[in-house]
Amino acid sequence: MPPSRSRGISRRSFVKAAVAIGGASALSACLDRENPDLSTGPDDLSGLPERQHAWNGALSTDDHGNHVAPRHHLVLYLDYANDGLPGAEDRETVETALQSLEHAYPRRTEDGEVGLLFTVGYAPAYFDRFDEPLPETVDLPEPEPLAPFEDPVPDDADAVVHLASDYGSVVLAAEEGLLGESDAVNGREMDATFEGVFERATLAEGGSNRRTGFVGTGLPAENQDVDGIPDTEPVPEESPLYMGFKSGFAGNQASEDRVTIESGPFAGGTTQHVSRMDLNLEQWYEQDSRFHREATMFCPAHAQNGAVEGVGENLGDDTGVEACAEDLASDAREEGVVGHSQKTATVREDGEPIILRRDFDSTDGDRAGLHFLSLQERIGDFVETREAMNGTEVAEEAAVGQRANNGILQYINLRRRGNYLLPPREHRSLPTPRP
Amino acid sequence: MDRRRFLATTGAVASVGLAGCRSMFQTRSARSPPLVEDRPDAVYVPSHVEGMQMVDMQMAGEYMLALSYSFPHRFWLVNGDRTNKVEISGDDSVHLMTTVWDRDTGMVLPNGAIRATITKDGESITSGKSLWPMLSQNMGIHAGDNLSLDGTGVYDVEITVPPLSMRRTGGFSERFGESGTATFTLEFDKSALEEQISYETLPDRQGERDALDPMEMDMMPVSRAPDTAAMPGTVVGEGQSGDATFLVSRLDEVPSGVDTAAGGAETDGDPSYLAVSMRTPYNRYPIPMAALSATVTRDGTTVFDGELTATVDPGLGAHYGAVADIGPGDELTISVDTPPQISRHEGYETAFIDFSDVSVTVEG
Repeated sequence: MPPSRSRGISRRSFVKAAVAIGGASALSACLDRENPDLSTGPDDLSGLPERQHAWNGALSTDDHGNHVAPRHHLVLYLDYANDGLPGAEDRETVETALQSLEHAYPRRTEDGEVGLLFTVGYAPAYFDRFDEPLPETVDLPEPEPLAPFEDPVPDDADAVVHLASDYGSVVLAAEEGLLGESDAVNGREMDATFEGVFERATLAEGGSNRRTGFVGTGLPAENQDVDGIPDTEPVPEESPLYMGFKSGFAGNQASEDRVTIESGPFAGGTTQHVSRMDLNLEQWYEQDSRFHREATMFCPAHAQNGAVEGVGENLGDDTGVEACAEDLASDAREEGVVGHSQKTATVREDGEPIILRRDFDSTDGDRAGLHFLSLQERIGDFVETREAMNGTEVAEEAAVGQRANNGILQYINLRRRGNYLLPPREHRSLPTPRP
Repeated sequence: MDRRRFLATTGAVASVGLAGCRSMFQTRSARSPPLVEDRPDAVYVPSHVEGMQMVDMQMAGEYMLALSYSFPHRFWLVNGDRTNKVEISGDDSVHLMTTVWDRDTGMVLPNGAIRATITKDGESITSGKSLWPMLSQNMGIHAGDNLSLDGTGVYDVEITVPPLSMRRTGGFSERFGESGTATFTLEFDKSALEEQISYETLPDRQGERDALDPMEMDMMPVSRAPDTAAMPGTVVGEGQSGDATFLVSRLDEVPSGVDTAAGGAETDGDPSYLAVSMRTPYNRYPIPMAALSATVTRDGTTVFDGELTATVDPGLGAHYGAVADIGPGDELTISVDTPPQISRHEGYETAFIDFSDVSVTVEG
């Protein structure tokens, strides 16, 4: 899709900026630019999936069968606004507000675009107010540092809402509608809003309570005029992410089934991890070689074989690093470098990855960043994968550095981290620990 | 048009004669004379020597930490046995450097993952940016990178020293397991850079197989491996490869912090510790971030065959070691499985890359 430029700023860059800013005027300007002509969602919601995280059915696939992520994302951090325990009335209000969004937007448009997809998740802090603990079938610890060199600020909101659409104006309108800042979305009135039940969260150490971003071909290149990316505009036009490579290959993603909680009252739900990372890509683009970028993103053998063309479109539906993963120790020992995918591919069960990544890039704070958002049955699955990515043992035993030549650790600075439970749809509104 | 776009555009114009910018570019090229022709595959005297400006020294947790800077300059990253020259970029302002050492022993610690968060008037310049672990002839082991600052002004530079990932032994075995952070105030005056920092080309010496002298600072140590006399244990041999020196010592007592149950020790008697100190010629800087292994044969029988673990010890310094039974007359072969991945300043980039095995007959 060629960028349609007007007034010196392309549509997609403008839309990204509007999502980042938020508010009625941004929405209005964004609507003018995007001019989405969306039908409304269904009147009868009984056909919607029981799993909140069942997004794949609404996503398009590319030529290789990889699911294509929605282009615009917004994560809202919310606190429960009332004292005491949430009662039936508040629960009803939240559910009505969420259903209003479902009535207002289609999950998928007739043209195959994403109308609106969303999830609602609850943090350990939310469940702390109940006397009863979560059942053992839910693994939802507080976020922790996962390597000696990590020091993330824990996000301490009660709830998070992840909104995603191919239209920036849709996530903005959904935000406004949910929070009672507008009466109607997509021409349909909100039957209820979060007002008086949820409010924007106050987060530790001044953390932002709305996190925005984008993923998809062209968007990173269009939005690379931020700190953390050199002025030479090195991000390729074809790249869906700032680091210049595709990600989310079908073969390297857990299935929605795999990440679904199997039993207990939250069966059909999943857990969500969201972390904020700053990207420092001056070294990546201006100092490192293409060989190094391929070796550290994928694995040394890929770099030696020239296995990755451009942004990795030629890889099809799989990074093909499984063989490299078996060589992790010897690559660390003999090549002095290990790849990011190579490390994470060591964590599999029955040959399948155990986390489903739905992450996206960001210009929040005018800085290149990544909101790493993943779904997994247990937060422990994320922890296992992330510990593999940290490559601490590799660094201790070989010439690979703690960060340098150790996947992409050199370029990312973890800032904040949070863990959430995404209940199944029937329990998504202010659940008790034992619904 | 924002600032960055403006700069990017003027950069392109400068080459066709924008006066102010052109002089800026000339200054840079004068600070970066051509590389020496026909560089030997060994340590050599670089084209120039430059000083540095010390910002401050502070405690960061249990680490002593110095922040300094110099002119931006070229350096080499290492990927396996490949080197990758990093040229000075058009908007680089300084080469920012940190040195980390233990205050009690004065030993410089080869910490590979220093991060810098730089702000000016509350505006973010870098956020947790990882500096490269580096080796230079006059600074020894440090961390650094060329950075683009936002002109003359006062900067807050927060440096985070992560826990040391190498094995620690002896008096270090219970130390360096935590992070430390310190914040420095950097008063940067671009126009004063040339007055502050010495610079000298070396037309008569460049390319010689020799090295610049280590910088002498009153307060800040430079990383030095112990000489033969100061090496703990019994020095049982010495070899050269890749222009590095390998000094081999046997310690009859295994240092604390070494897991004697692990590794390839196949010994009948009391275990001893084999320490290999890999260091630069001339300046005796320890060379970290390599992967070494060794075999020991006695009367044709292999008595040790295993990896040497990267270790830092108050007496031995940064070295590679294992529990191994070695005795007089044994044949010791040291292999470099991966050349040191530490980034190199000029004069070190062609050395310590291509190694052959080092064979030593163990002396009494």
